[in-house]
Amino acid sequence: MEVQVEKFQYDNKIVKWFAYATMLWGIVGMLAGLLAALQLFLPALNFELPYTTFGRVRPVHTNAVIFAFVGNGIFMGVYYSLQRLCKTRMFSDMLSKIHFWGWQLIIVLAAITLLLGKTTGKEYAELEWPIDILITLIWVVFGWNMFGTILRRREKHLYVAIWFYIGTFITVAMLHIVNSIEIPVSFWKSYSWYAGVQDALVQWWYGHNAVAFFLTTPYLGLMYYFLPKAANRPVYSYRLSIIHFWALIFIYIWAGPHHLLYTAVPDWAQSLGVVFSIMLIAPSWGGMINGLLTLRGAWDKVREDAVLKFMVVAVTAYGMATFEGPMLSLKNVNAISHFTDWTIAHVHVGALGWNGFLTFGILYWIIPKMFQTQLYSKKLANMHFWIGTLGIVLYAVPMYWSGIMQSLMWKDFTPEGQLKWQFMDTVNEMIPFYAARAAGGALFLVGALLMVYNLIKTVKIGTFLPNENAEAPALSKTYTKHAGEHWHRWIERKPIQLMVLSLVVVTIGGLIEFLPTFLVKSNIPTIASVKPYTPLELHGRDIYIREGCYTCHSQMIRPFRNETARYGEYSKAGEFVYDHPFQWGSKRTGPDLARLGGKYPDFWHYNHMLDPTSMSPGSIMPSYPWLFEDQVDVASTVGKIKAMQKLGVPYPEGYSEIAAKDMEKQANLIAANLKKDGITTLPDREIVSLIAYLQRLGKDIKAEKVATK
Amino acid sequence: MKKIIKITSILSAVFLILPHVGYSQEVQQVQASSYFTNALFNVLFLVILLLLALIAVVASVVKNVADSEYVKEKLKRIQEKKKNESAKTLGILALFLLAFQSGFAQEPAQVAAVNDWLIGGLDMFTFFGMVFVILCEIAVLIILVNILKTVLKSDKEKVAVAASVKIEPKKTILDKLNASVEVEKEKDILLDHDYDGIKELNNDLPPWWKYGFYLTILIAFVYMIHYHGSKTGDLQIAEYDKSIEKAKAEVAEYMKNAAGNVDESTVKQLEGADLATGKELFIANCAACHGKAGEGTVGPNLTDKFWIHSGGLADIFKSIKYGWVDKGMKAWKEDLSPMQIAQISSYIRTLQGTNPPNQKAAQGDLYVEAAGAPGDSLAATTDSLQVDSLKIVPLDTLKKK
Repeated sequence: MEVQVEKFQYDNKIVKWFAYATMLWGIVGMLAGLLAALQLFLPALNFELPYTTFGRVRPVHTNAVIFAFVGNGIFMGVYYSLQRLCKTRMFSDMLSKIHFWGWQLIIVLAAITLLLGKTTGKEYAELEWPIDILITLIWVVFGWNMFGTILRRREKHLYVAIWFYIGTFITVAMLHIVNSIEIPVSFWKSYSWYAGVQDALVQWWYGHNAVAFFLTTPYLGLMYYFLPKAANRPVYSYRLSIIHFWALIFIYIWAGPHHLLYTAVPDWAQSLGVVFSIMLIAPSWGGMINGLLTLRGAWDKVREDAVLKFMVVAVTAYGMATFEGPMLSLKNVNAISHFTDWTIAHVHVGALGWNGFLTFGILYWIIPKMFQTQLYSKKLANMHFWIGTLGIVLYAVPMYWSGIMQSLMWKDFTPEGQLKWQFMDTVNEMIPFYAARAAGGALFLVGALLMVYNLIKTVKIGTFLPNENAEAPALSKTYTKHAGEHWHRWIERKPIQLMVLSLVVVTIGGLIEFLPTFLVKSNIPTIASVKPYTPLELHGRDIYIREGCYTCHSQMIRPFRNETARYGEYSKAGEFVYDHPFQWGSKRTGPDLARLGGKYPDFWHYNHMLDPTSMSPGSIMPSYPWLFEDQVDVASTVGKIKAMQKLGVPYPEGYSEIAAKDMEKQANLIAANLKKDGITTLPDREIVSLIAYLQRLGKDIKAEKVATK
Repeated sequence: MKKIIKITSILSAVFLILPHVGYSQEVQQVQASSYFTNALFNVLFLVILLLLALIAVVASVVKNVADSEYVKEKLKRIQEKKKNESAKTLGILALFLLAFQSGFAQEPAQVAAVNDWLIGGLDMFTFFGMVFVILCEIAVLIILVNILKTVLKSDKEKVAVAASVKIEPKKTILDKLNASVEVEKEKDILLDHDYDGIKELNNDLPPWWKYGFYLTILIAFVYMIHYHGSKTGDLQIAEYDKSIEKAKAEVAEYMKNAAGNVDESTVKQLEGADLATGKELFIANCAACHGKAGEGTVGPNLTDKFWIHSGGLADIFKSIKYGWVDKGMKAWKEDLSPMQIAQISSYIRTLQGTNPPNQKAAQGDLYVEAAGAPGDSLAATTDSLQVDSLKIVPLDTLKKK
């Protein structure tokens, strides 16, 4: 039989674009992060402008780093490696282009809308519904292009990197669609379809697996291609690849509730989150082992080669973060770490170390290759490596320290049984650590800038090869099995089956954790005194969401002595049934607000929002002067009430028509109340509705207590 | 060689047990059961156990390596040279041990003094004790790794020798640990896979990884059964209720003997140092709303004779303790101890008539000292109606006059 060799060309242009986008958005995302870090100890840097306050900058930072920097990094690596692993050009250059420009459009829209305060208020899923739809479409384009390429491959079997790409594609699609189900109120406003406990479970199923399937699995795929390539060594263990791939995607999905330990989420769901996190150690480490042991016999190269250095630290950081993660999922550790900077340290070991360094390594490898030259300066690359590593250390260590310290201070009681520290005391202690962290972040950014300079220089001295010639024999339709072939080879020949099986594997965990909370009523015991928000409060809540208050304040009092002493009765599942979306938060830079209602008088909130330090000396909270000038969008009330009714919130029939009147009445009451304390404000200002919401927080259950007394 | 390992293992065991022995007799007996409910304790304890496990693993590796005939011979020679050094190491360890013991002999006496110095709910003594154990474990690990290094060095030499006489390459420690085929022989397990030049080896799963995975699965089942099957573990609300009960008992126990156990019915005007403390507390907690001199800003003026909630010592005590939440005064009883509230109340009483600048306009009713001892509100409240009517003159009527 004659084997016919076919000639074809790899598309390097699309890879180059994604590489440039990766660098650009990486710098933008890190700059946003640096600004947010500085704002935490220099509140003046919030500039008293809505667009530059921490609550809006922080989501820009997280979204930019995750979806813009790492997102483009994934596509860069996938488009480069997939063509070569499949021995074919990308399926369609047009789809590649649509994918690239579509993704950049999403990023730009995201940055603009987030700064304008258009947000769903769900962490890492803040983008509003039109962008959600756009993401879905572009993701489908990516999948289409990828599968088109895979189906035209000239290689019988799919390499492990491609399993990870496929798993990523299908799981991210599922996570994004399920978590983004929301009811639009207007073009840039929607309410999550889920409420309270269910919303929390869905959101952290998504949030946790965004880490798993956006920051981890695609990057493991990239590692499996670029690490052996750069080291020129065979992959350590094929068997390990198989077991750790399937175990990882199956187990990861279950671990979401470990973000909700000690909350009002049912105990059984929390426990599932704990045990699956523990079982996740080995599958995660499988990836690390396979990466590091691939370097056996090449450690002398690591000493010389900056690319390999970056990759080694990346894989090591991955190993550390994936060991720390399960430890943080233990309830007694989580009791200390949750809501503190410890979590911030943890995610940055992953983001800076694993994602950042692996991306840098790939960029340093890929750009000289495509430009047919050597790297402009190896010395600069090595310098970048050391500055970056130092940056990570300088970032993480202060955050670990401050996190543990703050948590222990929160928990401290005097022997007389009083809380030893005011919340503000603990904030004051954080300031030096915030400063050190910003310095670490700045170092990391300086390193990245060095890389950009180095690569621009490399691009200038090289000649770009847009279409790389390659040849491979055509794929024969028939296949004869080898004797003693591993059973897994079968599915490596069947991409569609592989995708379907991945989907089945990743669906199980989510279904088992969600369905009971939707179907079994005892999981969320209702509380009779919990009533829907008044229209004014609803508007106030939307302002709370718009300003990103949840980025610093939690609304979840955990059943700990220090929390009930500080904030009041621990939170109950039934209190959140009308919270579309839930606002439990994940970090307490400021105190918990779940039972803020009635704690301070209206004028306190008025003064506090205008200048937090006037009511709370030493506060690092930004001022919100625009709330005192802007009017509440009364016209949207009808739409909001109707949307809530569709979601099952029991407003009386036809209430949307009279809601505006109720709203005015309540606003006038608050304005009158403020007047008593010498504050004159118009009742239609946003501050009034925000005060209404803040004064409502956690009050329903207090009312019940009074009634039963 | 074996001797060294044995000695180090024994020493490390001693290090671990020692603090518990020395300590438990004096203090820990009372609290032993409560330690495991402390998160920090659990974390430190876990670290201690993990390090111990690590020591066991490294020690066994050292032992295995030391078993090989060639290394034994090699070691003999090294041992001759190193005899002095290992003696030194042992000496240092012994010194550690001594310091440790004498430290423990003295410290129980101080426990009471340092007991209020808490780190994450752990008294300083336990905390630093545990940290010390961790440090010792790390020291043992370093020693073991050093031994390992020495052995490895000899291993390398051996490879060099082996190469010259063409003996099979010896597995490295890492290869042994991972059950991997050594690099030199990897051709035997190279699969026929080739993806853009990437080849794959067919190494077996590292045994520690595989059994570790099984272990976590086992832990998962045990965990679920413990909390949801047999229900022997406390879920969060039960855990919370117990912690509250425990805290209540502890506070009650403390308050039995503690000075400063005052409430609104027993509070007395304090003098001297207590007033100074009261002033400090006032500046830290109250000045934000009442002004640094009590002149009043958001909150009312505390230096004039007009009081919204009455100005007797006990009244002020009550206002601070329970707050007037609807008027913006929070309850401070979770933040300040009764003694501290008494100190602040006493200090506020001394502000009467100080006439600071920028005073806020009068609010509330004129408060006239009751006939009893100044500030002794117990007397005031138990006084006759006649005194009461003397005491409070409504502001409106006063203005009309």
